[in-house]
Amino acid sequence: MGERTRLFKNGRIASADSSDFREADVLVDADGLITAIGSGLATPEGSEVIDCTGCLLVPGMFDVHVHAREPGHEHKETLATCSAAALHGGVTGVVLMPDTSPPVDSGNLVKSAMDLVSEVSAIPMYQSGCLTKGREGNEMAGFSGMASRGVPMLTDADRTVACPDLMRRCMEYACDFDLLVTSHTDTPALSKAGVVNEGRVSYRFGLPGIPAISQELAIDRDIHVAQHTGARLHLQQLSSARGLESVRRAKGAGTRVTCEVSPQHLVLTELDIRDYNTHFKFNPPLRSVQDTEALVAGLIDGSIDLIASDHAPHTEFEKSSDFGSAPFGATGLETSVLVLHDRFIRTGVFGWDLLIQRYSDAPRKLIGLEPVVIAEGCAAEFFVFDPAAETAITREYLRTKSPVSPFLGETLAGKMRGTVLGMAWHGEE
Amino acid sequence: MNLSKRLRTLSDTGDIIREEILSPEGIQEAIAVMARDIAYRCAGDNVAFIGIYTRGVTFARRVAAELKTQGLDYPVGTLDISLYRDDFDNRGSELPRLESSDVPFALDGARVIIFDEVIFTGRTVRAALDGLMDYGRPAKIELAVLIDRGHREIPIQPDYVGKKIGTTRDQYVKVRFHEDDEREGVFIVKKRAGQPHHPA
Amino acid sequence: MSELKPRKDLLDIESLDLEEIEYVLENAVPFKQLFQRSVKKVPTLRGKTVLNLFYEPSTRTSSSFEVAANRMSADVTNFTISSSSVVKGESLLDTIETLQAMRSDYIVIRHQAAGVPGIVAKHTGASVINAGDGYHAHPTQALLDAMTIREVYPEYKGRKVVIVGDILHSRVARSTSTLLHKLGIEVAVLGPGSLVPGGRHDFMTRLRSWDEVFDWGPDAVYLLRVQMERQEGQFFPSIAEYHKMYGMNSQRLVRMRELGAYLMHPGPVNRGVEITDEAMRYERSLISTQVENGIAVRMAVLHWLKPETDKD
Repeated sequence: MGERTRLFKNGRIASADSSDFREADVLVDADGLITAIGSGLATPEGSEVIDCTGCLLVPGMFDVHVHAREPGHEHKETLATCSAAALHGGVTGVVLMPDTSPPVDSGNLVKSAMDLVSEVSAIPMYQSGCLTKGREGNEMAGFSGMASRGVPMLTDADRTVACPDLMRRCMEYACDFDLLVTSHTDTPALSKAGVVNEGRVSYRFGLPGIPAISQELAIDRDIHVAQHTGARLHLQQLSSARGLESVRRAKGAGTRVTCEVSPQHLVLTELDIRDYNTHFKFNPPLRSVQDTEALVAGLIDGSIDLIASDHAPHTEFEKSSDFGSAPFGATGLETSVLVLHDRFIRTGVFGWDLLIQRYSDAPRKLIGLEPVVIAEGCAAEFFVFDPAAETAITREYLRTKSPVSPFLGETLAGKMRGTVLGMAWHGEE
Repeated sequence: MNLSKRLRTLSDTGDIIREEILSPEGIQEAIAVMARDIAYRCAGDNVAFIGIYTRGVTFARRVAAELKTQGLDYPVGTLDISLYRDDFDNRGSELPRLESSDVPFALDGARVIIFDEVIFTGRTVRAALDGLMDYGRPAKIELAVLIDRGHREIPIQPDYVGKKIGTTRDQYVKVRFHEDDEREGVFIVKKRAGQPHHPA
Repeated sequence: MSELKPRKDLLDIESLDLEEIEYVLENAVPFKQLFQRSVKKVPTLRGKTVLNLFYEPSTRTSSSFEVAANRMSADVTNFTISSSSVVKGESLLDTIETLQAMRSDYIVIRHQAAGVPGIVAKHTGASVINAGDGYHAHPTQALLDAMTIREVYPEYKGRKVVIVGDILHSRVARSTSTLLHKLGIEVAVLGPGSLVPGGRHDFMTRLRSWDEVFDWGPDAVYLLRVQMERQEGQFFPSIAEYHKMYGMNSQRLVRMRELGAYLMHPGPVNRGVEITDEAMRYERSLISTQVENGIAVRMAVLHWLKPETDKD
């Protein structure tokens, strides 16, 4: 795990530019720099050889929607366990949501968070800041302090700024700092009691539903306000076809808007919720087959800019209550790549190049980071993936503190051999 | 009476017949004898028959029909005793269908004769007594069976018996009436493997 | 003996086969006949314990279950837990542990959150009977409704029943309509647009007015209990307006009589809201029959379900 040269032998290198792979060995020196890529590289003395026959080397993923729960909710997850989970899933950097306790709504709190990250996290983590004080939706938070600490975005994470006037003022002021305004798109008055998509499934289960218009109206509102103010807007967790259409129209009109989708919303629908299983309870909820198909198409054609897991750990105990009471969300860092490979790459719906574009390059670009490539002279930041093996998603497999996932019990195609980040190799060997 | 040994299945349960105890004619004869016996011993009383589902009902009706030809019209009620059995916990994977018990006459002051086609351990009759007494309080209760095969586990004895036979505990005695079954007769059978057995 | 496999719990109607439904409905008939005897009890469940766990108050349903269990000679314990003393989620699992320790054979549970009976059923070997969970299901109500319809219409296939009222929030509407549909009975619904959900079952045809209902020609009209105050918001202007638009009043009663249609209601009835005093006296009202059948059906359910008491 420590400082030594590593030779990744016989692997195939994936990249964002091409659906073809480059068959080559990759040599990473003791400082974590890729010093050579080529076939039949000689093994330097004292170096570790990692046999990558049949495996892919993929640039590390970047997840812009992660709840690490520290400080305040460490029973669910900590920065350390979150970091371990990320590496386990091939994710080499994240943006942290500010919905901790206390919420991160000032420059000082951003600094404390970043200090903690540098102490305990093995991966870079970027702390975002709240739009409103305490995420209450009443008063603007201190943008200048947070901007000076380098927050990548402002968001009230899982809460909407319900008052359109306040949202407008936030966007106008955020423009002064060229800060990205990220919105959890929802209309609380429409979704307030709901726990599942409103429709046939909510009827059958006798559960109050969240109508799709709850998100669609909020998307339209935020887009209009962004157009009016000139702010940069990023929409979280798209879930419906009509919402996506609004984004397409706005982009077509030149609006600076981006949006994300989660693996669960690409792969699961409301019909997958069986027997009141709370591991399938999400906000926004899983929707219809038509919505899911539209989201996949949108991801492929680029209308959806990027993938973000909304990694939201809750303890198994919290998730064991009835569907109505259980908190929303599940973990995603460790299952995202596996699920997307299992459902889409293995079946040829799209390739690794698209995945790298959407889950590695575009998320980094969103917050102004350079893309990660596997090239000579670059810092090593990639994971080794065996597409021919399988992974059983079990509680024991997951490194997150809260093994809650809709994919528990499934065996997914593919296996993470390990992740390289600079000098460190977080792998099985 | 022809007691030839034949191997042929009883088509309703797939049981294999080992021995025929009573032929259809033998059954008819036994019913006629029992009817005369009842007519004699119950002369002048307020008599009512209660048949235990399923074949006890058939049996009761046949005896009642026989008595009707002699001018005696005794009413026949029916009783489903499954709610009174003592083996509810052991019902295993079978789901009993309940029949409608029908006692369309007042029991108080009546001389009730309970009819069942076979008596074995006596537990069915015990359950029938409990069930019957939840309908009322007869002046007298008697028991009529077509076959008494011995091996009582409870001190209950029939008052009217068609035929008494000696059996071993592991044998199965089957009474078949053409109203309920494809063939008629009383048989000792060998059970197909895995068949449930409720000692009557 | 039938080929049906025994079942531990009764949680909803959706998961029942037609065979199982027929079995319970047919068995309910002999149980009902017992009510005419002076001794209405049978000793079948003697020594067994039935726990009535009611998180929502209900004298009607809980006493119906209590009577049914008593008539089976079971020992009944009643637990009514008011919603204020329950912290949702945590207490449920703690309560389940307590229940397991009590080793009940049957647990009858009513809860305001959908899915709770299923959670309890997973954690205990007792037979769990759902007496109503949130908006989701009320299977014994559906069974007694079906039994009642079959009594007055032995030829029930193809008959028509319209359910009137708050379809969105009614677990009775969900369970009963599902069951009637399984039996081959045509189901329609009448109610305000804000209370008739688009996601309802396909077979629930929406009728728009009483005129349309009577033109459709129902064999039975099933009135739902209406509740105006809801936490999630306002769904309908007022009780007075509901009564005017959807209540069973004298004019509508005339049409009922002409059709010879029966009147049903799960109870308890809100006089002046769903139904007038006059309509309560309608000669083809099955409301009290429903109550009587409720006891018979619940006895049949207790007789049918099989606890796994070695599981705890």
